[in-house]
Amino acid sequence: MNRLLLGCGLLLIWVAVIRAEPPQVSDNALPQVQSVVLAEAEPLNVNSRYTVEDVQVVGWHVKRMSDALKANIDRLKGEKLDRPKLEVIANEIKRELHVPKVDVTVVRGVNVDEVQVTFEVAHTHEQDLELTVARFLYHSKQGWTAEGSATTHFGGNAFTFGLVSDGDAMLERFAGVRAGIERGHIGSDRVSLRFDFASYHNQWNRDTLMADSDQTYRTRQVFEPQATIVLTSYLELDLGTRFSLYRLAAPGAKAESSNAVVSTLRYHQRWGSDPSEDEEANASYNLTSATHVLASDPAYTRQTVNAAYKIRRGRNTFDLAFLAGKIAGVAPLFDRYVLGNASTLRGWNKYVLDPLGGSHVVHGSVNYAYRWIQVFYDTGAIWDRADQRSQKHSAGVGFRARNFQLAMAFPLVSHPGIPVFYAGMNF
Amino acid sequence: MLAEGLIMQANENRIEFSAPRTHFLSGKPLDRLKDAWAVPFDFQITLWSGTRNHVFRTLADRFVISYDVLDEKFKVDKMIEPRHSAKNLSAAAAETWCLQQMALTDLNGLSPTDKLWARLEIRAEDVSSRETLPFAHGAVTESGISLNTLIEILSRPPPSPQLRWTEEAGPVTLETLRVVRR
Repeated sequence: MNRLLLGCGLLLIWVAVIRAEPPQVSDNALPQVQSVVLAEAEPLNVNSRYTVEDVQVVGWHVKRMSDALKANIDRLKGEKLDRPKLEVIANEIKRELHVPKVDVTVVRGVNVDEVQVTFEVAHTHEQDLELTVARFLYHSKQGWTAEGSATTHFGGNAFTFGLVSDGDAMLERFAGVRAGIERGHIGSDRVSLRFDFASYHNQWNRDTLMADSDQTYRTRQVFEPQATIVLTSYLELDLGTRFSLYRLAAPGAKAESSNAVVSTLRYHQRWGSDPSEDEEANASYNLTSATHVLASDPAYTRQTVNAAYKIRRGRNTFDLAFLAGKIAGVAPLFDRYVLGNASTLRGWNKYVLDPLGGSHVVHGSVNYAYRWIQVFYDTGAIWDRADQRSQKHSAGVGFRARNFQLAMAFPLVSHPGIPVFYAGMNF
Repeated sequence: MLAEGLIMQANENRIEFSAPRTHFLSGKPLDRLKDAWAVPFDFQITLWSGTRNHVFRTLADRFVISYDVLDEKFKVDKMIEPRHSAKNLSAAAAETWCLQQMALTDLNGLSPTDKLWARLEIRAEDVSSRETLPFAHGAVTESGISLNTLIEILSRPPPSPQLRWTEEAGPVTLETLRVVRR
């Protein structure tokens, strides 16, 4: 675990070092010109010399915006006008409110050399029902994965209902329904509350059944009440519990419960105002502790650290990702770690690496993309006992456009077998 | 020499161009300028001599134009060396200033009696196309494909194609241009 923490620490230090001088990407960053009319060099956009006096968002229930987005909007006040940055904010508003259009207008302010900015959200798209295809994936060794949902709002609450069939994320294929209710403001703009419920039917790979079929289960229901607290514009804390009831597959076996306290600290920051010249860092620490106090059958503690850093420079995109985790105690299969899917050790078969999942994991990934073409390298290890630890490597090549990916990956071994092919969105 | 919308004038050892009927500061680019953006325009002038198959010179430059939302005047920056800029211009003056920077100064190899043809091409950066792609911002996010947004985007009318302007002149000769000048 010490090595895991050391690795995570080094990654964060590296990100901090290369972030020492954040790039200022704006109209002003374009090449300066020598003026024949004016003596001194000036920014290309003549409006860059004006200061933003006030910013308004109109045409929408502004209260439903997240604190992070509101903070981004407020930060524009007092800054010099950076037109690309306004567009980035407009796109954030689009994404968060699920609206197709946000107009930005810049008009004269009250004071000299100051302007007022207005984000006008289109009225035409304030639907009662938002339909989303959240994710889909075809993996040549795992088959199809897909998830869709419908969300509607009523009385300040968001209701979500979804269908999912996932053969990628865990050892099991779980298929079923999800439902959730979320209330955005509980006493403060910084606190939101959500209740999620899911009911799944489970299917298992032959390798897992042969390794230990007694641990498998036929059905799983999950109820997860959770509060999210916005600590700063970059930090959020999730606190809650997760009650899981699963019916074991062994004949005559009873249903078991895994009831845990779940907390996640999340960090997200983005730098740069131009979508083609930006940097993004995400990190999270999750602690799941199943305890007899909550009438849980298994008692275990699961700690997971995730970190990711992305930098875009024109047509070049570079991604780094790091994962480390440790389970103390015996966790049910749905909480054990998996490597060898569409996002970790791509090219490996997760059932070959560990058909029952592992209690320890370390994984690192490097992706480079030029326009739509990407190459990547993954490395990691998954184990229960120290003597089982074995570092694996894989590499691949493919296409990536926004959230879509199509790729072929190979395990880096002396006699590589059939490569893994996968294609999909948001996985 | 007036031919279509492009005018060529010989002035000592240079050929100057103007296109008083071409108003590229209009339509969508103008809307974008008035939204406080800086909009790049690419200019290219091709000059043929002797026959229409012989390209004598090609001139290319990029001008970044912005519109002062407070003073309601244009500023133009010529991006290729030698760089120049001008500000406090009206729309017509900004258009004229761009073409004034595109004069042909190297006439070596051009006979006074050679026939000349010229074509001016202006292209504004097509910023709208990115926004109208089905999978552009708003439709595909980390939360997935929003079907409602996708329907909205696909229901939009097609974007205006008028982001290019072309004018031609010729055939004329350098001799004729000089006579007209006198």
